[in-house]
Amino acid sequence: MAERGGFGRGFGRAGGGGERGRGDRGRGRGDRARGRRGPRREEEEKWLPVTKLGRLVKDGKIRSLEQIYLHSLPIKEHQIVEFFLGPALKDEVMKIMPVQKQTRAGQRTRFKAFVVVGDSNGHVGLGVKCSKEVATAIRGGIILAKLSVIPVRRGYWGNKIGKPHTVPCKVTGKCGSVTVRLVPAPRGSGIVAARVPKKVLQFAGIDDVFTSSRGSTKTLGNFVKATFECLLKTYAFLTPDLWKETRFQKSPFQEFTDFLAKPTKISLIEDVEKTPIY
Amino acid sequence: MALSQRERDIQIMLAAAVHLGTKNCDFQMERYVWKRRSDGIFIINVGKTWDKLQLAARIIVAIENPQDIIVQSARPYGQRAVLKFAQYTGAQAIAGRHTPGTFTNQLQNSFCEPRLLILTDPRTDHQPIREAALGNIPTIAFCDTDSPMRHVDIAIPANNKGKHSIGCLFWLLARMVLQMRGTVTAAQPWDVMVDLFFYREPEEAKEREEEEGAVQEFAPTEYVAPPLAFAASETQWEGAAPAQWESEPAVGLPGALVGAPVAAEWTAVPASGWDAAAPTISPAGWDAATVPVASGWEAAGPPAATGWDPANL
Repeated sequence: MAERGGFGRGFGRAGGGGERGRGDRGRGRGDRARGRRGPRREEEEKWLPVTKLGRLVKDGKIRSLEQIYLHSLPIKEHQIVEFFLGPALKDEVMKIMPVQKQTRAGQRTRFKAFVVVGDSNGHVGLGVKCSKEVATAIRGGIILAKLSVIPVRRGYWGNKIGKPHTVPCKVTGKCGSVTVRLVPAPRGSGIVAARVPKKVLQFAGIDDVFTSSRGSTKTLGNFVKATFECLLKTYAFLTPDLWKETRFQKSPFQEFTDFLAKPTKISLIEDVEKTPIY
Repeated sequence: MALSQRERDIQIMLAAAVHLGTKNCDFQMERYVWKRRSDGIFIINVGKTWDKLQLAARIIVAIENPQDIIVQSARPYGQRAVLKFAQYTGAQAIAGRHTPGTFTNQLQNSFCEPRLLILTDPRTDHQPIREAALGNIPTIAFCDTDSPMRHVDIAIPANNKGKHSIGCLFWLLARMVLQMRGTVTAAQPWDVMVDLFFYREPEEAKEREEEEGAVQEFAPTEYVAPPLAFAASETQWEGAAPAQWESEPAVGLPGALVGAPVAAEWTAVPASGWDAAAPTISPAGWDAATVPVASGWEAAGPPAATGWDPANL
């Protein structure tokens, strides 16, 4: 029976390599993704921020991503992340998974793309997107991954010499049945992990770590989400060096209210035509 | 015997029945309850209400740009009060249905990111509370004894069921804010009556409108103001179009729309009046809402049509 949806319509490569390419894509570099960056660059230049945070970032009022993390501001536009991490940010498609839904006239196939994004220096993001075409799914996945970029805390195994190279303490993350445990390792151990979490940890910028996992790690979706959760927790853990009282800083929305109060050109026109209520 | 400001306010609150709670009490509201009456109703300690109002006013004043504050009420009893409050303090008012996603969906037309949210009832306005929690927006709410307190940052214990009560509270809050800002002082007391904030039933509003001839003009403050040519033209359509108003399926027709401070209504929130008039019409169907209105205007002739074209016709 002729397959519906993606297989025929989508990428020739994807159609044939739906099953075969799984391994390839996992191991290979994000070559295809890089190819995509050409046309995307033009769109980036035309970024018109919609959110307050976006406007502040575009005008350079925000010094770094860390400032955004400090105030727990939700990042809604992926260009914000690109602004700060831009060139260093690499992405990798972990897996393209065809998923199917049964309809009266056969199966409706869609492709689910798992994309991991990161500069190998303390920032990782994970995006999952499902779409009728592989390329769309990957593109969407990269955007979602950028939106979900998280800071990763690194520490030392013993003796604080040089730069932090491993996790600050034992952390564990769980998703579905998969639990992933990261254990600090001495320098030079490298990332002792399975292929999948190894990729994520490399993107995070962790040099040495021991891992232990449990559960159905075959399900790549859950495995990758569990390591991501784990890395999230590195900054959620209260260690003694964080015992000092926080000095609160003003939220950027408060600091820059005057700048934000200025309407952008678009909203000026809108104010006249369209009344602001809801 | 002179009463202090606080005592006078408390007298007003008692007259407006602010102290009457409900037959149930949420455990987190227990600290504000004074006693339980013999018929089962919990009585709120109005002194604490006053203190919380002061605290809320201080927070409102601390926001540098008043336009970043959103005051909201889904229930008709609170809609007029909310609109008036916004008018006098410079905030933005949402009366009627809160479209889900206004605080979280950046692609929506009505997307806004407020710095502060003020609500009349955490139970009926639960949707904005939820969205505020997602967007780091502090929330102030008038909580009754049985109101859920989840995600409410400043709870003002009060009766949010009665129309006098809600009106009185918003009036007091507005006055406190103006006092703290310095706009209103002991030398220049605030000349606005509490009654302005009370919800008016549609029949009552219609009677009033027939009595009144003149339209009082209110000087708009900083926010976007369409030309004041409105004020003059309003008298014409006002008198001519009461018939159209009756046919509106309005429940909580804020009396404000009809009669006195209509000009102010327009300057502050031109369309919110319509939304209040047709709470069942979703903002997406906003165009639908303007259709019944447009017919009214045609009947009244096109007075100062130039003034209105940009608005929404």
